[in-house]
Amino acid sequence: MISRSEIKTYTNMSPKFDDIFCSLQSAPKLPKGMIKETKKVIAIARKFNKEVIRPHALALDLKMHENPEFLPWDFVEKANEWGFYTMWIPKIFGGKGYNMPSMSYFVEEIGSACLAMANLIGVHYLGLCSLTSTWHMRLINRLCRDVAAGEKIQTPCLISLAITEPGAGTDVEEMDLADKGNITCHAEKITDGYRINGTKIFISNGHLSTWHIVIAYSDLDKPSENSVVLAVKTGTKGFSFGRKERKMGQKGCPASELIFKDCFVPDDQICLDPQQIQGLKRSKRDTAMQMIDYVLAATRAGVGAFGTGAARGAYEVALKFASETVVAGKLLINHEWAQCMLAEMYKNIAMARLTYAETNYANGLYGSFREMQKKPMYYYYKFMPAKWLEKMFSPMMDKPMMTKLFRKKQMDGQTDDEIHRTSGWGSLAKFSGTDIGIKNCHMALEMMGQAGLRHDRGAEKILRDAKLLQIYEGTNQLNRLNLFKCLIAGDFPQAVVFDE
Amino acid sequence: MIAGTNKELKLLDKASAEFARKELAPNREENDKFPFSPFFTPVLEKAYSLDFFHALLPEKLGGIGHGVTALSVILYNICREDSSLGGIIFTHTAAQEILLAADAGNLIQQITKSDAPVNECLIAFPTFNNPSEIENMAVFKKKDTGYALSGAIDYMVLGGLASHALLPARYDGTNGFSFFLIDLAAQGVSISDPIHSLGLHACPAADIRLENVEGSLVGEERQGAAYFEAMTDRMSVPAAAMSAGIMKGSFSEALEYSRGRFQGGREIINWSEVKMILADMAVKIQNSEMTISRACQAVDNTEKGWQHCSRAAAISIQEAACDLTTWGIQVLGGVGYMKDFGQEKRFRDAKHLQALLGLAPMRKLKFFKNLVKN
Ligand SMILES: Cc1cc2nc3c(=O)[nH]c(=O)nc-3n(C[C@H](O)[C@H](O)[C@H](O)COP(=O)(O)OP(=O)(O)OC[C@H]3O[C@@H](n4cnc5c(N)ncnc54)[C@H](O)[C@@H]3O)c2cc1C
Repeated sequence: MISRSEIKTYTNMSPKFDDIFCSLQSAPKLPKGMIKETKKVIAIARKFNKEVIRPHALALDLKMHENPEFLPWDFVEKANEWGFYTMWIPKIFGGKGYNMPSMSYFVEEIGSACLAMANLIGVHYLGLCSLTSTWHMRLINRLCRDVAAGEKIQTPCLISLAITEPGAGTDVEEMDLADKGNITCHAEKITDGYRINGTKIFISNGHLSTWHIVIAYSDLDKPSENSVVLAVKTGTKGFSFGRKERKMGQKGCPASELIFKDCFVPDDQICLDPQQIQGLKRSKRDTAMQMIDYVLAATRAGVGAFGTGAARGAYEVALKFASETVVAGKLLINHEWAQCMLAEMYKNIAMARLTYAETNYANGLYGSFREMQKKPMYYYYKFMPAKWLEKMFSPMMDKPMMTKLFRKKQMDGQTDDEIHRTSGWGSLAKFSGTDIGIKNCHMALEMMGQAGLRHDRGAEKILRDAKLLQIYEGTNQLNRLNLFKCLIAGDFPQAVVFDE
Repeated sequence: MIAGTNKELKLLDKASAEFARKELAPNREENDKFPFSPFFTPVLEKAYSLDFFHALLPEKLGGIGHGVTALSVILYNICREDSSLGGIIFTHTAAQEILLAADAGNLIQQITKSDAPVNECLIAFPTFNNPSEIENMAVFKKKDTGYALSGAIDYMVLGGLASHALLPARYDGTNGFSFFLIDLAAQGVSISDPIHSLGLHACPAADIRLENVEGSLVGEERQGAAYFEAMTDRMSVPAAAMSAGIMKGSFSEALEYSRGRFQGGREIINWSEVKMILADMAVKIQNSEMTISRACQAVDNTEKGWQHCSRAAAISIQEAACDLTTWGIQVLGGVGYMKDFGQEKRFRDAKHLQALLGLAPMRKLKFFKNLVKN
């Protein structure tokens, strides 16, 4: 009926089979252990919600209204005690090595109780993921082990990502725009390191983090070809914190200004720079974009999961209200229109979850989760004692050869199609999950009327918190354009993006 | 646009817009910190002296006797800059309207003394509840000397500010409810701290508990629903005007920002996706203003079906404002989410106002019920 070559031809036609059936292709390859592990992660998150977040989230939010300078150290420490900052660090780097997709389910759970708290934990992994995307194995090992040590000695060691600048938000997320933008954070190459000057703004967890993965540029006229990724430690001379933003929501997770004035960062803290890129198959510009895509393909799925959490939080509050409140003579839950609204909200949550899950499958096949989800790797790391792994691998990580090898395999080994597929799905999960989050918040507040407006009922906070999700990690508009660029434009050579 | 060509309304338009620009805009962010910063009493006093609180009140009761168009013009301009004051004016006027619907103008006169401080002249009212929809309500008992009220009233707007409150109460075990006016300083009244809420921070609400508190019956017993519906018929247009004012404020700030913010080497207004968002906002505003103008005309001329015009305007414009203010933040990107800019407040206020006069879906059903009944 159909020949092999025809099957190939037809499934390569748009929409390509590989683009749209990631879960189907991925499922048989996944280690079964991931299911049990994910169940455990969800249960831990629910327990944490019950014991730590729900009793305190509203009070913390109110406190932040009153005193925007307050830093939620208690919570940061609690999350450290529970081991959340190392949970998704691979065991070879001293972490607990839970499978990466399970983090999305985790942040959905935490986000359903408090998005600020979910962000506080999630952003630490944004920092880590950015570091990982440079494949600088020595620094990855060093920082991850710092985080693990911080857990042991009960002094949280968090990592932030600092890329946004006062004059450049969208522009730093897209290399097609960067060179036209107003980028000012300069990394000047000097003997033994770089001298950094400039300001980063809106950096989540800034004031709370020990390490900051900072992206600066060695030539401000051509940032796209001159990205420098640096690991900067709090307390470094020339680096200070500026203001904490006064945000509408997610108040428990500070957004900070990072100021660099002649800040010297030694060579051994440079994760990636134009010199290190030499030798890779892609141009400097394309490598910088690959790195951004590599990070965002994974973390935007996480933001989609935050959105799902928001949608769930709103739904759960509205459902509880509807099941307890009499409106016009009968329980709200028994009004047919309310039943349909609740069903719509339930559907929205399911759709958002499917979207970020599909993105995780894409990342498992083609992106940042690929290596660790291979069955032999997965089980090897799972069952090898941590001490043994440390003894064997830690010294190896210090060898420059390891960085070279990993970069060759991970960066050169990823095809353009794979970059586009994962990045496009990342954007899809991000804007659909977060739009759905807002949609459910609106519906919840409509159902609850006056009760939804009150801080003490919890619904209004979810709306305030959720709005941020449509903005960070690229506005939803930028993400739509990125989806177009990655999943649509490829079939149309005449299509031009970011240059209308 | 709402003021049309009427000279008097145009003057009111100008005066309220100027007041909002001068008195409200400069301290909007600071005033919004209430209760964690002082209440904006001087601004409230000034607004009161400018008759913004008396637009619908007949001249014989000390008002200026304009129609809902005048009130809509005032609220539109005020809410463009800061809807908290709009919420205060709306609440007080809604209470007045119920008293007028119940033919209880005398009670208004008792409260409104020209030389009294403004809070003594204000009437608190649970503007975000339709009493017909709620289960738990205060109850009243008849005494020889009048009525005694007990029970709880949630979310009494201006509860901690005004000297009097208009509230619904049931006669134990019966259907229907009646309205009562009480003195909030009377014995047996306890008032909570200001309730921290989504928006309208400087239009504070409080939970109130009553124990055998003396109250004056407003109109007739068990006629509360009729008075409330009459008030809603008229006040829905000013409610819509408040949301439209917020929309206009959000649009103006987004437009201005998009002309000054550069990304990708050009003002962001020159990216057609941003332009499209602004265009969507502009279309919504144009439609809302046209709807309000038409609804004002219908209400003030008591045209056939004016009640439907009024209610439909509120439902659709409040919904539009929620969408529009989301985009209003979006155009500003990260800074739109920050307290230093007005956009996040407008987003919160727009959603807050959607709950005016009861659950939005229930108001929609009520509108439909009234429409098909006629
Ligand atoms: C609370 C908070 C926390 C954050 N955390 C972090 C963090 O931890 N680390 C970090 O580095 N950054 C962080 N950010 C920054 C965030 O990623 C940026 O705010 C976001 O990328 C948008 O950039 P911008 O705010 O500069 O908006 P702009 O880029 O100025 O965008 C303004 C508007 O213009 C539109 N626009 C811009 N360019 C185009 C174009 N080419 N085509 C169409 N439309 C366009 C945008 O969609 C938006 O609507 C955070 C932001 C916030 C608010």
